[in-house]
Amino acid sequence: MKILVTAKRVVDPDSKIQIADTQTSIELDDVDFRVNYFCENAIEAALELQDEHDAEVVVCSIGNEDAIQTIRTGLAMGGDRGILVEAEDEVLDGDLVARTLAKLYEQEKPDIFLLGKQAIDGDSNQVGQLLAEYLSLPQACFASNIDIIEDGAVARVEREVDGGIETIDVDLPCIITADLRLNEPRYASLPGIMKAKRKKIEEFELDDLELDTTLKVVTRSMELPAGRQAGVMVSDVDELVNKLKSEAKVL
Amino acid sequence: MNSNVLLSERDMQFLLYDVHAVDELTAFDYFSDHDRETFEQFLSACKRFARERMWPSYKQMDKEVPSFGEDARSGQRAICVHPRMGELYSQLANLGVLAASRPYDVGGSQLPITVSTAAMTWLMAGNLSAAGFAFLTTGAAHLVEAFGDTWLRTHFMKPMYAGRFTGTMALTEPHAGSSLADIRTSATHDSGGRYRIRGSKIFISGGANNFSDNIVHLTLARIEDSPAGTRGVSLFAVPKLRPEGDQWVPNDVQASQLIEKIGWKGLPSVVLDYGSEDDCIGWLVGRPNDGLSHMFQMMNEARILVGANAVATASVGYQESLEYAKSRPQGRLIDTEKGSTGPQVPIAQHPDVRRMLLRQKCIVTGGLSLVLETAKYQDIAAHGSSLTVRERAQILADFMTPLAKTFPAEWGYEANTLAVQVHGGYGYSSEYVVEALLRDQKLNSIHEGTTGLQGLDLLGRKILRDRGHGLQLWLETILGDLALAQATESPELKEYAAVLRAFVSQVQVTLRNLSSRTSLSSMLSHSTDMLLALCSFAVGWQWLKIVTQAERAADGGLQGTKCPHIRGLRHCAQYWFATEIPVAVAQLTRVDVADSSFLDCSLDSL
Repeated sequence: MKILVTAKRVVDPDSKIQIADTQTSIELDDVDFRVNYFCENAIEAALELQDEHDAEVVVCSIGNEDAIQTIRTGLAMGGDRGILVEAEDEVLDGDLVARTLAKLYEQEKPDIFLLGKQAIDGDSNQVGQLLAEYLSLPQACFASNIDIIEDGAVARVEREVDGGIETIDVDLPCIITADLRLNEPRYASLPGIMKAKRKKIEEFELDDLELDTTLKVVTRSMELPAGRQAGVMVSDVDELVNKLKSEAKVL
Repeated sequence: MNSNVLLSERDMQFLLYDVHAVDELTAFDYFSDHDRETFEQFLSACKRFARERMWPSYKQMDKEVPSFGEDARSGQRAICVHPRMGELYSQLANLGVLAASRPYDVGGSQLPITVSTAAMTWLMAGNLSAAGFAFLTTGAAHLVEAFGDTWLRTHFMKPMYAGRFTGTMALTEPHAGSSLADIRTSATHDSGGRYRIRGSKIFISGGANNFSDNIVHLTLARIEDSPAGTRGVSLFAVPKLRPEGDQWVPNDVQASQLIEKIGWKGLPSVVLDYGSEDDCIGWLVGRPNDGLSHMFQMMNEARILVGANAVATASVGYQESLEYAKSRPQGRLIDTEKGSTGPQVPIAQHPDVRRMLLRQKCIVTGGLSLVLETAKYQDIAAHGSSLTVRERAQILADFMTPLAKTFPAEWGYEANTLAVQVHGGYGYSSEYVVEALLRDQKLNSIHEGTTGLQGLDLLGRKILRDRGHGLQLWLETILGDLALAQATESPELKEYAAVLRAFVSQVQVTLRNLSSRTSLSSMLSHSTDMLLALCSFAVGWQWLKIVTQAERAADGGLQGTKCPHIRGLRHCAQYWFATEIPVAVAQLTRVDVADSSFLDCSLDSL
């Protein structure tokens, strides 16, 4: 079995971000980066399948040269090898990312393509679905549990949907996107980090993949949310109920 | 409990890579598989583990302390630690922290101690009790590694490094704490390297738990007919369960009592009884009667870790009070007209609160820098490229260790009181976490040699007995850095260098005056003053080094003077030279003046 899994490099939410002077991107000079949380769940799921089904786990990322570190984190957690497609964020949108990943799929022919359900920076939640569409593969998004059944022919996936869990069976090969409750990702261990140094990472330029790189989504501007207004103290429950009725109009 | 970043990652990185150039160490064979990337990946994993897993359990472990209960595995009465401790410990072991700096052939990763100390600082900031189980185990396993034979290594060291067994250091007895010459625990020869152990130890941290398969107590005891005093003390490995054939059987060493204490509440401190049924076997580690010297070969490392822990605890308090001060509105600015009813300002706007914040930052970052520099000398001493380089580094590491332990412990305690102070009345309530950190911090001026003993070690052993050799080498190293600073264009660096140069001269005068005194007790009566003065001066030296690197970073255009992080470091340096160095000068004068009031005042006059 072969699993391709994504590791997007995103700004660490512990960093305080600022909008760049151009108003169309985030200032990246003085922030820290990490693996996208949902991708970490995807990697952990891949590593659990690696143990159970003797799968090869290939960690891929699209980004600048620094995204190598993100792939290395995945390899230090236990991935077998890596693929980096070099491209700056500004020349990418969700659709182009999906078409780039589709190219990697065609190269690698994995049984399962695991992704985070969304990236915590753009919050688009589109890539897994678009990828399934471009590849005409079944998709199981927002997975909270994955079992491989029928001798590796089918993935039984529990999906988090409004108000409950939906269980679906998808034929392999398939696209699965991970939700936070899928698992608790392991941390890269020091011995794992040392081993990861010797694991192979293949690098491509975006241009090598012969894709139409026209963007469908262009960022026009960004602004910070308005600061929170100070609260008021109410003297009793009646006043609170009144305010909820007359001012907030929620009752 | 709010989230807390625990340590400034920026400061940690700037200190490691810019100020102390830790990547230089990878030029030594022992570290040659490492590079900056492996350091960063490991520190990042430790940071995240500390923030995401350890810190959320800190306050619970402070409140729900270990107690006697039923061990779910054996069904017997035992000391049970917090239910989350077992999982945290196995995750810590999985991170690879237990044998991080040890050689490959014992299962380690040959990481520089400088980096493993930085990693441990993150983990101790997250939850010092959980980290305590880990560093005590590493210390115990390291002793077996250094002095044990193959059998001992296989049976005790390997399972400790692998995370299956935990370990302790069992030195103190009820009547003999700092005075190890007086211990009474006895060892009677049994067969081979086996001895029957009888006696009692107290304050044994991590001496009991209900998550590890076994506990190995590295125990100091006296073999029958040994010489009196320190020359008759030997080191033994005394496991809770001992190997008999292919079985592990109970070894008659019991944790009979839990000590109630003010901090480190998740880490049980116990009374251990050995051989109450005369069936306690210990294995001699190293040479008979050399137990203390074996133990003390590990002491530098342990003391540096105490310094790191003190930095960590001070840092968490600082970060907590910083966030509080930025978000807590209270009062209006002094300049605002009287009677103003405009909005209140966050307390961080008030000058005195700002002072308390900057002072904490100075202590935390200056202390961390001193700890890392001392650790780097340890790495060079162990793995440097030539004998001369290694010997020089060893002298510097030995000399700086009491400073790297004491500065963070003493000033860190003050930093933790400031964190409480910033919180005002809420800081005094147990609802807020800063009071717990203050309680935890107090241990650091006591364990692994009290501040008083560090003063005697520094002045008595490392300055006077050594005829000032270590001190001179240290001062020459500092003078080298001062010359670099004075050669720059920066007026502030020139000024700081001049201040430190004057201090160096004063130290040399003090030393001459001390040597001319006739009695040892008059020489040593102000050893703590000497220690504290040199601590503060050493941190001034660190601030000079930090600003020198900040200048270089600014020249490189990477992190210009506009960068708030670099500006913050410069303000810290300014504060330290304006406020703290004058105090150190006065402290050093006390050593010279040698006031004898406390010696002259008889006990019945107290």
